Amino acid sequence: MSTYVYGIARAGADVPEDLTGIGDPPRPVRLVGHAGLAAVVSDCPEELRPKRRDLLAHQRVLTEAGRRTTVLPMRFGSVSEDDEAVAAVLAEHAAHYEERLDRLAGRVEYNIKAVHHEDAVLHLVLAGNAELRSLAEANRAEGGGSYEQRLRFGELVARAVHDREVQDADLVRGALAPLAEEDRPGPESTGWFLNHSFLLKEPAAGALLKEADRLQRDHPQLDLRVHGPLPPYSFTE
Amino acid sequence: MSVVPAQGGGAGGTSGLYDVLELVLDRGLVIDAFVRVSLVGIEILKIDVRVVVASVDTYLRFAEACNRLDLEAGPHRSPGLPDIVGQITEDGARGKTKGALSGAAQSVKDALQQVRGDGDSAPARRGTASRKKEESE
Repeated sequence: MSTYVYGIARAGADVPEDLTGIGDPPRPVRLVGHAGLAAVVSDCPEELRPKRRDLLAHQRVLTEAGRRTTVLPMRFGSVSEDDEAVAAVLAEHAAHYEERLDRLAGRVEYNIKAVHHEDAVLHLVLAGNAELRSLAEANRAEGGGSYEQRLRFGELVARAVHDREVQDADLVRGALAPLAEEDRPGPESTGWFLNHSFLLKEPAAGALLKEADRLQRDHPQLDLRVHGPLPPYSFTE
Repeated sequence: MSVVPAQGGGAGGTSGLYDVLELVLDRGLVIDAFVRVSLVGIEILKIDVRVVVASVDTYLRFAEACNRLDLEAGPHRSPGLPDIVGQITEDGARGKTKGALSGAAQSVKDALQQVRGDGDSAPARRGTASRKKEESE
């Protein structure tokens, strides 16, 4: 029976007794202890795929366990041959895990994603660019312009919007980073122009949220999505 | 601003999963001795954002959205709007150069501009000079 690993905590970690994890029915969560450490694990179902249910279960176990104790979160889908192999890994890297657990104690991750309100950012780039404005006026005067006109105009606008994204990403990162102990870029992906994670002590989160709120008030083109507190996925290394 | 509390399990966690999915799948501790489950289909998350931005669809969407915008209203109304009419002629000339460079079809407006320019080339030259001055400022 293979063992699914959610994260690593210290021996004697206070994990809720009735906590269940991945699989259908959900497998009970237990601890595999060794060398002063404890891996948060469950049995692994025969067939494990990145399904919504199991992704949520992974997230939930880390959240529940992390509420009472410091846990180094594993990436989704980490499977070990058996409990003995888990214990061997704990023994082999004990010093490193101890160091990370110390670093992350009492700290959480907040992830911020930024998108633009489309109309607001278009207003902004047109207002700041006379050439785009006059092209817009000309196209409008001709009932929207020809296909080529619209394409060429839209390409210029897209470039101006991209420049604005770079500028606003710096703005948001620069304003929030001083409020966190560490910050790291999230994985690149579609749907937002900034994806950035911040590590901070939980009581400091209030200041981060307040600053994010201020940024949005002062820069109405910004739409910030703040997620947290999260297990510190981005700060395990 | 939407703040999605991740703790609290249940519904709160569910609603936020999409927005933190890439952290669950692409961050977190990886241990070589452990097998990672095969994540078929996950690569789709990593499509470079630039591919989307560069698409024709996006250009057309922006163009249409700009046509809808009321430039005279809204929080980002340009302080320099009264100058626009004066700049259209000048920017038309600039557009002509760009059109030739990009090899795109000449717009109707550019064509009109050309006709005008052929008849009287002095204003066009003046336009270019004043624009260069503008840019160097």
